[in-house]
Amino acid sequence: MIQARILRVACSAIVLLAACRHASAADAAAGKLTAEGCAGCHGADGVSQTPLTPSLAGEPDYFVQWQLVFFRNDTRKNEVMGPIAQSLTDKDIRNLGAYYASLPPPKPETTPANDALATVGSKLASQHRCNVCHGDDFAGSGPAARLADQREDVLLKALRDFKSGRRVGTGVASMADVTYDLNDADMQALSHYLASRR
Amino acid sequence: MLPLAKLRTGSVTLVAVTALVAVAGFLFTSGARTEDLKHYNSNNKQFWTHPPDDWFMGDETKELQGTNYVKTQPPPTGFTKEEVEAKLKDIKLPPGFKIELYASGVSDARQMALGDKGTLFVGSLFLGHGTVQAVVDEGGKRTVKTVIKGLRMPSGVAFRNGALYVADIDKIYKYDNAEANLDNMPKPQIVYDDMPPYVPHGWKYLAFDKNGWLYVAFGPPCNICLPPTSTSQVRHIDPENGTAEIVALGIRNSVGGDVDPRTDRYWFTENARDWLGEDTPSDKLEYVSHIGVDFGYPYCHEGDIPDPKFAMGHKCSDFTPPALKLGAHVAPLGMKFYTGNQFPAGYKDSIIIAEHGSWNRLKYQGARLVRVTVDADGKNAKEIDFATGWLGPNNEYRGRPNDVLIAKDGSLLVADDYNSAIYRISYNK
Repeated sequence: MIQARILRVACSAIVLLAACRHASAADAAAGKLTAEGCAGCHGADGVSQTPLTPSLAGEPDYFVQWQLVFFRNDTRKNEVMGPIAQSLTDKDIRNLGAYYASLPPPKPETTPANDALATVGSKLASQHRCNVCHGDDFAGSGPAARLADQREDVLLKALRDFKSGRRVGTGVASMADVTYDLNDADMQALSHYLASRR
Repeated sequence: MLPLAKLRTGSVTLVAVTALVAVAGFLFTSGARTEDLKHYNSNNKQFWTHPPDDWFMGDETKELQGTNYVKTQPPPTGFTKEEVEAKLKDIKLPPGFKIELYASGVSDARQMALGDKGTLFVGSLFLGHGTVQAVVDEGGKRTVKTVIKGLRMPSGVAFRNGALYVADIDKIYKYDNAEANLDNMPKPQIVYDDMPPYVPHGWKYLAFDKNGWLYVAFGPPCNICLPPTSTSQVRHIDPENGTAEIVALGIRNSVGGDVDPRTDRYWFTENARDWLGEDTPSDKLEYVSHIGVDFGYPYCHEGDIPDPKFAMGHKCSDFTPPALKLGAHVAPLGMKFYTGNQFPAGYKDSIIIAEHGSWNRLKYQGARLVRVTVDADGKNAKEIDFATGWLGPNNEYRGRPNDVLIAKDGSLLVADDYNSAIYRISYNK
């Protein structure tokens, strides 16, 4: 935090515009410091061991930023994340996005699931063209989340929240459109498949 | 986060329709199958009242697959004042002109209107959370404040006789004595609401004529369809008593217009349909030559391209062509006739158009200000670049202008929603 403060002071003096620009750009190292308070729920190194709490490691920068912006302006309502996000500045949000995006994604604890449920999930992912926004390897990009190796309970809750309209998302809310056609069994199959992907 | 989702109620039935579309230009060889392309049947009331949330991403073609409105959005936390100022260094203007930052942090800045006391009111659209903002200038020190909250998509603003007018999809509000009440805006009067409720292409722009009547365009709630009869038109509205005339038909998405001081005719920009091709059809500049003029949508585009599906037996010669074709997917929005005394004499009665830039094109174009000179009778329209540099070398946006306004001293104010900023262009020879 001290590092960030020095940079802020340097900028407020009339110094080189270049130095100020550097400070305005995202700072993953500063993000790491800010993220120390997040590890309690989201796990050390961003890999979550907490039920219904997502892993953030390897999530795309803009995805992380958008969720924090949504929590901060109450677009996405959450009793825990709301107050936390209220205390974050734009700079904090950028730094957190850069930090989490820089972390290696979670390693799956088991081998990829080849069971029947995963096979159903794989067909559904194809049919609903998840790869168009989330990538062929489901690693995400821009505002679209990394799905591969995310906690299965988190993925399932997300799909259910999109379907019920409790959560909207950035892709012109196309998640609502996608989930309109899914029933709960479909969503369970999809979550199982994506959570076990490498 | 788009409020479109909040307005979506009920269910939507997607009908998979294989649409045969005449495509100009090259085709991808990526192997995308027709079944992979999204299709919507947008030609029905169910679609207009409950559009799927990504309604304009429908009707995909192989050629343009992958283009996506979301890709043109600014980053989640926007840009700092320093970042915006740094990008202004790349803007090219004719000799003698300069551009500077007038105000930053004007969230999702859209149409602008100037109050008599110099307050700049600014509307917002997709990312503005339903607010109208004001930039107050106190001897060069400018503060930005949110003066109206709780609307939906209040993109259109205008000021006349002390009152602020705000257009929010299907209502035009009037806030009396606005500048004296910035911190405590009065409850507005609804001066016009004989308007359809559709949100897609329902965002409005306001242009007063010298008699206090407003010109307002109504867009169809689809990319291409046989439009509901209350849309696809320009109306001339009297806010004093809520009566209106339909002055033009056959238009699609118009979010910019101004009255020609030479003739009192209404001129306006129009965004043509998507998903037809990289280079087709052209966006347009048009004017109301006579009451009931019909510009051809959905049957005919740019005056000479019959729609592959919706021509429905009509010929383009049945309709009125544009005064000028502005180019495909440049997205012309706000425009004004230059009436100030600061710019060189030749600029008098020129039109300055803000082009927002493409989303439905593989290689973006637009994202600039252009100057159009045209005779009073609508002939000899010519276009020249005025301000360029908001499109970077890697097809990335560095800004997206969407409106212009002549300030009292004759300088030009520019709204840029991508950077949430207002710029000022001035001339000094």
